Amino acid sequence: MRKGRVRWLFAGSVAAIAVAVALSASAYGSSKAGKILVDGTTETVTNIDPAGNYDYGTATVDYLIFNRLLAAGPGKNLTPHPELATKCSSVGNLKTWACTLRKGVKFSNGDSFTSTDVKFSFDRTIAINDPSGISSLITNLASTTTSGPYKVVFHLKHPQSTWLQVLTTTAGSMIVDHKVYPANKLQSSTSPQVGTGPYILKSYNPGQQAVFTVNPHYWGPKPKNAGVIINYYKDSSTMKLALTKGEIDMAYDQFSPTDLTSLKKSSSVKVYIGAGAGIRYLVMDVGKQATKLGVPTGKLAVRQAIAYLMPRQTIASRVYHGQVSPLYSMVAKGLPGHIDAFKTLYGAKPSVAKARAVLKKAHVKTPLKFTIWYTPTHYGAASADEYAEIQRALNASKLFNVTLKSAEWAGYVNTLGTTKGVFQLGWFPDYVDGEDYINPFYPKGQFLSNGYNSAKMNKLALKEEGAKSTKARLKIIKQEQMLAAKNVPLIPYWQNHMVAVARKNVGGVTSTLDPTYIMRFWLLSK
Amino acid sequence: MTGTSLKTYALTRLALVVPMVLILLTFVFLLMRVAPGNPIAAALGGHVPPSVIQRISHRLGYDKPIYTQYGDYLWGVLHGNLGRTITDRRAVSSIIVENGGATLELTVAASFVAMVVGLVVGLLAGRFRDTWIDVSGRLFGIVAYAMPVFFLGFLAQLLFGIWLGWLPTSNQASPITQAFLPVHSHILFIDAIWAHNWGALWDVVKHLILPATTLGIVIGGVFIRLVRINVIRSLKDDYVEAARARGIRERSVVYRYAFRNALVPVVTVVGLQLALLLGGAILTEETFNWPGIGSTLVSYLAERDYAGVQGIVVVFALVVVVASLLIDFVNAFIDPRIRY
Repeated sequence: MRKGRVRWLFAGSVAAIAVAVALSASAYGSSKAGKILVDGTTETVTNIDPAGNYDYGTATVDYLIFNRLLAAGPGKNLTPHPELATKCSSVGNLKTWACTLRKGVKFSNGDSFTSTDVKFSFDRTIAINDPSGISSLITNLASTTTSGPYKVVFHLKHPQSTWLQVLTTTAGSMIVDHKVYPANKLQSSTSPQVGTGPYILKSYNPGQQAVFTVNPHYWGPKPKNAGVIINYYKDSSTMKLALTKGEIDMAYDQFSPTDLTSLKKSSSVKVYIGAGAGIRYLVMDVGKQATKLGVPTGKLAVRQAIAYLMPRQTIASRVYHGQVSPLYSMVAKGLPGHIDAFKTLYGAKPSVAKARAVLKKAHVKTPLKFTIWYTPTHYGAASADEYAEIQRALNASKLFNVTLKSAEWAGYVNTLGTTKGVFQLGWFPDYVDGEDYINPFYPKGQFLSNGYNSAKMNKLALKEEGAKSTKARLKIIKQEQMLAAKNVPLIPYWQNHMVAVARKNVGGVTSTLDPTYIMRFWLLSK
Repeated sequence: MTGTSLKTYALTRLALVVPMVLILLTFVFLLMRVAPGNPIAAALGGHVPPSVIQRISHRLGYDKPIYTQYGDYLWGVLHGNLGRTITDRRAVSSIIVENGGATLELTVAASFVAMVVGLVVGLLAGRFRDTWIDVSGRLFGIVAYAMPVFFLGFLAQLLFGIWLGWLPTSNQASPITQAFLPVHSHILFIDAIWAHNWGALWDVVKHLILPATTLGIVIGGVFIRLVRINVIRSLKDDYVEAARARGIRERSVVYRYAFRNALVPVVTVVGLQLALLLGGAILTEETFNWPGIGSTLVSYLAERDYAGVQGIVVVFALVVVVASLLIDFVNAFIDPRIRY
């Protein structure tokens, strides 16, 4: 009996050792796997087909597979410059724009890139007009024509001086192979995606992972890594754990301020901070809209008083631990034409005395009671703290009695200015130009529905769109900022930075941190 | 006589499935429509004018009368078309297959852990009644059942993932394994065996340990108490007294006789706990970034994706209903007293 038991024990031990040796073998031990960059993100993907998305998470995927006609960045080079088009210019009147295309470019399947593909890409984006798509950004495009295999002409409905900036966005200018993509419907995200970009999408597992291998036909410099894997996470704390444990090599979108502060202390990773272009602002209903909702912001003096009290520095330091910067204009700092209009009119720091004076002058009785709305998760979990600081600053002045209310994004965004008199919003630009920080908010037809409609602003917007020189356009943008600060239907208060966190063996991160917020994985090495 | 009754019982129960699922479907449909917001506003709001959102919503029929939308949806479901999600255009059926595999992997592993924990602790507690083993076992069962699964998950990540560094803290497998393992069944455990990739198999198992153990312990808390009670009851039965009187060793009396009989009602409860398991799986998937159907449901809920939420809830309901039905049939077969 005893001998039998010993034999069993011995056999069991040998088996256990064999299993342990087999299992300890690396799943994929090739050196190539070691050069594949693994990125984590909390962003989501909608439709990878460029005609079907208008969100940052999907654009990140598209930038790896497709090219635009023109590009902005990296770094400080924000002026549109050649990508698939070597030259683009207006033919006389800003209504017609001609582009000369790069020769010798091939798609990832070997097909040649020509003007037919460009016309096809724009036409299908407009024809499909997908609910999640970006066709709203090219509503001014009347038609696209070709003139030979390497020339494209865009015919606009109205003059648009920023048409080249639009071509740097994902708005229909992500060029697809006309032989592969259907003309009137989207290509499924799990079907082959064919572009001229530096990578090929090897596989896409919705909500889990997107895997990219290097495109052997890519016309530009070879990527500095052997491929990219983007891992999708539901929340930043899980992503942070994965990063510190080395399960992923880097992550850049999006960490909470607390996570970032903690990561800065970690010895296994490095936090990189670059210029950003995202902003946060407070929207206030004006005029009849405000009266209808019973909020006092219909009066200019009330809005100015709130502007005098906005606690930008406290929000930046206490809530965001210095990871955002105070902002004094709706146009992001660092962009051509930016001026600190709010600083000029309302000062760099809060002033209770000035707020009181402006209300007294307008014979407004205080304290004024109203509700401010915010959304607790869409812009990050710090929104609650952010608005607690705004509430504290306003109430501490004794001029206001503010209560806070919140609603999740899907319900929050549904009605905006028509049901919420004073509310939080954020903005991330479609293209990095001052115009994209003015036109969505101030001229007639803006999406806020807060009742703001200034004839002077409408006139300036039209003038800016038709401006014949950059100098003239920037001058108008400055005028728009001053007028916006004077009328103050919106109060900007912070601007973000592009932040990436990477393990120490990842190189090239700083080269891609800029206001375009594009993570150019092809510049990163491991 | 018995056969006819069983047949009638089976048909009656099958017939009841239809109204049960219809009621749930209707309830979910109405809840989604009543909740503020719609998928178009959620996707494009804050970026385009309300007129654009209204135009797109009209194009997709979201401004139609609610009974019309309901009718269209029911018509599709009756023809086996669960539709496509609005946000990312995925066929709901493909979500069930692709993400369902991950949930199946998690729930099967968690069930295994729950059974082991429940049976072992419950047996010991019942066997050594009113001793410190019993008290510890019962306390463990109560704490396990009462503790929120996500909290236990966070603790497990902290202890085993960060402080000890033994196990990964999220996902189904390492990124490289997941990227390069050929997909056949959408269950990575099976796919790794299929590919004869033992390194990948170990990687998958390592990633499965924390989430399965977390969920398994919480579910196991239910079984501990049930097994304990049934073991105590069995140990008082006449046949156990008879076995003892015949001089059979106490060890054999407990494990061979009493315990086996104590398992019969436990098997029934296992099936009924499926709903609890699926609900717990949603929270576990969220905590461990597990790409299952539960976490996918949460994402679609946040985006007000009607098709995604309705489709997944229907499948959940069908799974629970069918499982309950099978358990009822087994019980009816075993115990003729169970009839309508």
